[in-house]
Amino acid sequence: MDLNYKRVAFTEEILKNRISELGAEISRDYAGKDLVLVSVLKGTLYFFADLTRAIDLPIRLDFISIGVYPNATNRTGAVRITKDLDIDISGKHVLVIEDIIRTGLTTGYLVQNLESRMPSSVKVCSLLVNPEQQLINVPIAYYGFRVPNAWLIGYGMDVNEKWRNVPYIVEVDKADL
Amino acid sequence: MSVITISRQMCSFGDEIATALSQKLGWELITRDALLADFLPEIATRNELHMLTESAKFYLKESENNGTFLEYIDRTLHDLAQEQSVILAGFGSQVIFANDKDALHIRIIAPKKNRVARLKKQYNVSDIEAEQILKKADRKQTRFVFTIFGVDLTEPSYYNLLLNTAALSVDECVASITALLKERELLLQMEKQTEDTNVISNLSDMPVLKNQAEIEFAKILDMYQIDWKYEPKIFPIEWDPEGNITSAFSPDFYLTKFDTYIELTTMNQKYVTEKNKKVKKLRELYPGINVKVVYKKDYHSLIERFNVNKGE
Repeated sequence: MDLNYKRVAFTEEILKNRISELGAEISRDYAGKDLVLVSVLKGTLYFFADLTRAIDLPIRLDFISIGVYPNATNRTGAVRITKDLDIDISGKHVLVIEDIIRTGLTTGYLVQNLESRMPSSVKVCSLLVNPEQQLINVPIAYYGFRVPNAWLIGYGMDVNEKWRNVPYIVEVDKADL
Repeated sequence: MSVITISRQMCSFGDEIATALSQKLGWELITRDALLADFLPEIATRNELHMLTESAKFYLKESENNGTFLEYIDRTLHDLAQEQSVILAGFGSQVIFANDKDALHIRIIAPKKNRVARLKKQYNVSDIEAEQILKKADRKQTRFVFTIFGVDLTEPSYYNLLLNTAALSVDECVASITALLKERELLLQMEKQTEDTNVISNLSDMPVLKNQAEIEFAKILDMYQIDWKYEPKIFPIEWDPEGNITSAFSPDFYLTKFDTYIELTTMNQKYVTEKNKKVKKLRELYPGINVKVVYKKDYHSLIERFNVNKGE
């Protein structure tokens, strides 16, 4: 692929090993519980596929997507769910799967929204977290790697909807995008 | 853990609401029947259980080695509520948990004509018979609570919320209770922070944001429907030898749901250094407080990102 990048941040092998560890942790922690894994589209596409197959439990899978709509009275718009869950999560344990948590605003919005549906618990599993940027104290129960402020793409993460299909994660220069 | 008590008139849909609420929240529902079947057999003989079914006064009788049956119930329910969230329906549970600020007390009622209609439909009885049954049930219920606790269960001040099911469905009542529960959990979270400190509450209904940066940041929070309060607390951070407060710090935003304070620093470096010192002191003096500082660079990247109408 014709992609200029600074370095490979996480190789396929590193991702595979860490995801396998996360899957084992989740399998242990949620044994005997009614667990729903919620993929936040689209960045979690590959992480979700690999993580769920590393979990040795009869879990349920669902997908959610959020978007920003323009708002006449507020130029920042409003966040809304564009694809909602199909599964009723009340009384169930929910694990929200994210690709990367930066400020935590998106995850915070989702956690708040899902908690209003009265599940038994809502926790978050993110492949990458950036503690420096994090504003919201979201319940991150599992994460793959801590990352600094950097432009990362691949393994589901995009730039203008491109490069999601790069099978590993690379760091790029903003100027090259 | 949390407790919801539900006091209900016969045919007020109180039992249906308690059951639906239990299913929705996944909390165990404990009724008077469950107490008699699952808890009291631990200490009561078969004869004593029979007497407890028949006579309210018997709850005040000493059981072997356990104080009165009422004291045993009080102790057992409080122990249970320490371990898990529960819904308690009937048997004066609103009095047992009257002083427990984590408990939410609900009373479900309906006008006589609605209750009569429901009873007639359920048991195929006449109007007069239905009225008599309801009158007797109300009297027994009131007398039961008065005999044991010496209080009038119809007194509204025992309840946080009174629901009249004349024109409310079971689902609407459950939605009202869960909404109240959610708000209450947020409030308790705020109160707990204040309890062990000399933090000063600074809440006002209409916050006046001081500058454009705060206005923009509030818009971003609103965009994500994240509840916030503006400068809700003033934290004293320095005192003179006589104990008078000489310096205090009030972070700009408190995100109620996420128990996070946010301080924006979009000004000159000279002031940023000063502010950093205050934040450091705040963290030292109040270790349980979660404060995040948004620096000028971070703030501008946030604004830049959200102004182009994109999510994270």
